[in-house]
Amino acid sequence: MKPHWTIAYKESAQMLRSQRGLLWLLAFSGLLSAFSLLLVSNAELSLLDNAQVVYMMSGTVLAAGALLAAILGSDAYAGEKERGTLVPLLCAPIDAGALPAGKALGMLTAWGVMFAVATPYLWAVGASGQNLGAALFYLALFGTPVVLGFGYLAMAVSARTGSVLASLLSTIALLMLAASPLLIGPGLRGTVIGRALDAVNPFAGALNTFDSVIIDSEPLSAQFARLLLVVAWLVLCLLAARRRAANPNFQ
Amino acid sequence: MKKWKDILFVMATIFLLAAVSAAAEAPLMLDLHPDHANPSAPVMGDHLRFWSTIINTGADPIEGLVAWISLVEIDPGNEQPVDLEDWSAHKAVTGATLEPGQSLRTGWPMRLIKGGDYRVVVSVTDRGSHTVFTSPTIQFHVRQKPVLQSGRVLPVAAGVPLLIIGLMVFNKTRQHRKKAQL
Repeated sequence: MKPHWTIAYKESAQMLRSQRGLLWLLAFSGLLSAFSLLLVSNAELSLLDNAQVVYMMSGTVLAAGALLAAILGSDAYAGEKERGTLVPLLCAPIDAGALPAGKALGMLTAWGVMFAVATPYLWAVGASGQNLGAALFYLALFGTPVVLGFGYLAMAVSARTGSVLASLLSTIALLMLAASPLLIGPGLRGTVIGRALDAVNPFAGALNTFDSVIIDSEPLSAQFARLLLVVAWLVLCLLAARRRAANPNFQ
Repeated sequence: MKKWKDILFVMATIFLLAAVSAAAEAPLMLDLHPDHANPSAPVMGDHLRFWSTIINTGADPIEGLVAWISLVEIDPGNEQPVDLEDWSAHKAVTGATLEPGQSLRTGWPMRLIKGGDYRVVVSVTDRGSHTVFTSPTIQFHVRQKPVLQSGRVLPVAAGVPLLIIGLMVFNKTRQHRKKAQL
């Protein structure tokens, strides 16, 4: 087995076999359960359109996925360093790119598991409405680069600072800023500053696509600019991670 | 007394003529009507379409024309303008030019997000004039419906966390067995 597959397998096993990974999944499913129960128990919210609910839940899944990627990415180098396993890992006869590739595959698996956990919730709230299939498709298409991008970014900061805490704090702060469109209404985002932030924010790009395809039933051709934005985000973060991973902080 | 009555009559006639004249000078005509395929008793989630026709009735071209649709909720105690963000992706036509006699027909699709009584209107203005013209309003009622089915949500909301807890217990038991075997 190639080294990056071995690393990816070990990282993935942490999600499905370790109590820590399962605890995260339990917290994630608890969040989605609470959200679903709130929707059906509140008279006002239960009248929300299915598509609106699926859109809101897709945004929540994306934010939770990005948060997990930020945690895993922060642990990638700094965690290994703090556990004293980074130097032996880097001295091992493996290709320089195998470590980040294996870690990224591990993050991808974690995101895949989260996606699988979120699917029944999206079905439960959206099956009687429109565009559930489109919601799942676009959550995978736009969510994957956004989530992996945050993972790569955390990996880059982790390799640069050598501290899990510093990496986690800075990446989560950026994630909170990026995910602010989840809380800020469309009216406020319609200002010049809001529109400018939306234009460069990959998270907002993914959210606007969910809005466009789930609620407004717009086609893929209308999403190319936003797709370009999230792919550019992924590529930039990947390059940053590769650059920093080539020279991690040992001190 | 009769003299005053005559004066009042003349003044009223002048004002009326002035008003008719001003109306006749309006450089455009604006009409709004619902699509014939619209459901007669729309329910939340249905799609409606309205058609507006703007005709340049003046002698000069109308440039930089902007037309937009507005929706107002008129439920008693809840009268308010509606943010069309989720209702429609097509909220305005901008930058069009209308030559004299030319018309612009525009379709305004809308998805009904919330139940209640509503009035829809299309407004038009252009670069040159300082006036906003409005179409006749159309009123419609949207019937509410519960869109989330608790019968589907409850089993998932309870089942998925229980499944993960079961997986955690299974993992823990297997680890204990492995340790015991060693």
